[in-house]
Amino acid sequence: MLSQLKRLSLEVDGRYASDAELQFMSDYVKSFNLRLQTYQKLQELESKLIEQTYTKMRSLDPTLFMQGKDDFSNKWKMDTTRTFRYVAIALLINDPDTLRERLLLWFQTILHAFGMERAADVTYQILQEVVKQDLTPPQASLVCPILELTRRSLGGVSA
Amino acid sequence: MVTLINTQNPVKLKYPKKHDHYGFRDFFTFDPDKGTIVDWNEGQNLLTTEDFIIGLVEGLQEEVGDASAATMYVIGCEWGQKDAFFFEKWFEKEFDRNMRQASLLFLLETWWWPFTSQGWGRWEVDMGDRKQGFMFINIFDSAVARTLGDVGKPVCFLYAGLFAGFFTELVKKQLSCIEIQCYSMGETYCKFLVGGQDRIDAASFWMNEGANARDIEKRLRSGELLR
Repeated sequence: MLSQLKRLSLEVDGRYASDAELQFMSDYVKSFNLRLQTYQKLQELESKLIEQTYTKMRSLDPTLFMQGKDDFSNKWKMDTTRTFRYVAIALLINDPDTLRERLLLWFQTILHAFGMERAADVTYQILQEVVKQDLTPPQASLVCPILELTRRSLGGVSA
Repeated sequence: MVTLINTQNPVKLKYPKKHDHYGFRDFFTFDPDKGTIVDWNEGQNLLTTEDFIIGLVEGLQEEVGDASAATMYVIGCEWGQKDAFFFEKWFEKEFDRNMRQASLLFLLETWWWPFTSQGWGRWEVDMGDRKQGFMFINIFDSAVARTLGDVGKPVCFLYAGLFAGFFTELVKKQLSCIEIQCYSMGETYCKFLVGGQDRIDAASFWMNEGANARDIEKRLRSGELLR
């Protein structure tokens, strides 16, 4: 939304915006209640969803949290919580571009430096499955594309 | 290239340990009253146009002729050496640990991020041959090459110097650098070789003989050097 507003203010330099150019604002207003509900639900369920993801990942492959002899489960929880909060605000303000610019591009290189792309890929894949169990389909349809963007960015799927 | 200035970034004031601060609005603080642009590490930045880069490269060429490449390289070296000290300080402050205690790849990514935010391009480091004493760096969207366009020869001497200077300070051993593939040669990205002078001389000789980056990588990996 913020990125779109910024683009709009640049594009309509010295003229009035067309109906088509303003469409995203009415779409946003229409979706706002659902966004706010979903945002609040994510806030309420944050630790439960992350814990469920952790348990599923552990049963799937415990080595996902190992780096040599070190278990970095606590670091994973901190990073996932932080990223989850960025995903939630991107959902509320409908601004995946800002999420990408402020967090994902940087975090991608850091995870690559530690060889953690596979863990990130699995994390955001399972998180999508877990989220769908607690959210209504319309709520999940708002969150999952942002989690998928996160998976693709951090999981080494695309640059 | 940055100069230190004492202007506080409002995001940094609130979240001083925030590591993900490389987005445009987080990294730079614009002060319209003072006319300054200060980055997260309190370095003062200047905005320049592509005309500035053309002026710098062509002006130097006019002044010193063929020595302009070496001059740009030396400027880069000094910049890299100074930046290594600057980096050591801000890394320690941000992460509460000496940079020598950090994982090497993490350290390097952290070093390059301010450059990415400043528009010097994204990079990729290939440390696969580190034990043999050399490494490769790819730069995507070099500010110099992007500006000069396809001129049929490498142009990123400033970057090569920057890498030579920084890595020399980092490993406390004299290292050099050469650009073995450039966007300005019609390639899609720039590639640099960092290593000891003997390897850089060999790569330079092979390039003059017409070798491309892939040939050079192959010859270095097979342990070939100038006789």
